[in-house]
Amino acid sequence: MSLSSLLLPAVLFFALGVIARLIKSDLRFPPDLAKVLSIYLLMAIGLHGGYELAKADIVVAFQSIIWALVLGFTLPIIGYLALVATRKVNPLDAAAISAHYGSVSAGTFLTAIAYLDNLSIQYETYPLIMLAVMESPAIVVGLILAAKARHSIAVRNGTNKTAVENSEEQGSFKEMLRDAFTNGSVVILIGSMIIGAVAAPSGMEKLKPFIDDIFMGVLCLFLFDMGMVAARRIGDFKKVGVLLAAFGVVMPLIGGIIGVYVGANMLDFSVGGATLVGVLGASASYIAVPPAMRLAIPEANPSFYLTLSLGITFPFNVIIGIPLYHSIAQAIVS
Amino acid sequence: MVSLYAEKMLNIISNDSLEEKLVCMFKKYGVNAYTIVQARGAGSSGDVSYMSGFDANIVVKVILPESKMQVILESIERKIKKGYHLTVYITDIEVITPEKFEKIAR
Repeated sequence: MSLSSLLLPAVLFFALGVIARLIKSDLRFPPDLAKVLSIYLLMAIGLHGGYELAKADIVVAFQSIIWALVLGFTLPIIGYLALVATRKVNPLDAAAISAHYGSVSAGTFLTAIAYLDNLSIQYETYPLIMLAVMESPAIVVGLILAAKARHSIAVRNGTNKTAVENSEEQGSFKEMLRDAFTNGSVVILIGSMIIGAVAAPSGMEKLKPFIDDIFMGVLCLFLFDMGMVAARRIGDFKKVGVLLAAFGVVMPLIGGIIGVYVGANMLDFSVGGATLVGVLGASASYIAVPPAMRLAIPEANPSFYLTLSLGITFPFNVIIGIPLYHSIAQAIVS
Repeated sequence: MVSLYAEKMLNIISNDSLEEKLVCMFKKYGVNAYTIVQARGAGSSGDVSYMSGFDANIVVKVILPESKMQVILESIERKIKKGYHLTVYITDIEVITPEKFEKIAR
């Protein structure tokens, strides 16, 4: 891992955001800026990816979807078992936290693309489909784990739910499932990919300044803002404790290694493609999953999962994780 | 001089992800008028800065007649027991159009 790999403008802007916060600068971005930028980034990467995927192999695309589902359903279970084993959090907190680690962070994925582009490393576009697919399954797993945890607690306490409570719970479970598969990020990403795939090439050519030319600049701005957001959460480090904070570093390493292995050995991707699958396995959601968990597992403490995903795992992946998964991919592929 | 009429205002501070749930609850009990404002602050569930638009808070304000207040408070209490972080308080207010609030809550 060379120092030059960390000297990406996007990563440096992330560091600037963290520093601005730590030195208590009065710098403030408009409240919805990161949301607006993430919409742009997902749209641009979706259009770009859809255009490339139109020329792709349908069998590999299908295999990518299957492996994305496998990762999306497996990683939160690994995370849940690891968290429960620490005995530092209750099962409901463990379910909510692990859902974040089974889902993905588009910001981390895009930083990985910037990293690979900077090193002129080629990568397959299939991981983009995996990014869209992996947004939701972990939310479903989180809901199931939480339902099981609630049931065990109720049995232990000898409390039974009323028929009204059961029917309310089933209704909200259906709503949660619907929300998990129709959340904004999934709609933008899949919608843009379809548009990119079916749009006339001449029309796509006209979009080049929007999709390609300004992309890295917008990513810098996004990471600048996210650096400030992450730094706010670093202050909560003490609240989560050393063992949980260690989970925020160890879990992405486990997910990253599994992801790289899947990318390299199961999907036969190049070093670049395997790195991207590794990043998908390693990253933790901070946009789609937190609101879903607030609704689905209100008993869980939001400070835990927000601090872990935003304050620990996101900075770890952006600064250390991405070059590390790239090195692992190099080792496995070669 | 304009006449003033006493009413009660229900205020709920919550995370914005619960907005849809709260609105559904109001509609279920026949309340179709409410005001929602974005907010930031800190509390038992941690710091909610509204920084970057992620993890924002809201304050829901609704003027209710006594007849509707109790049933809605019971529904809110059930949500709090389920673990939802809701801060609820009621304020005495005075309005100049009392018929407006009776109508919306009917």
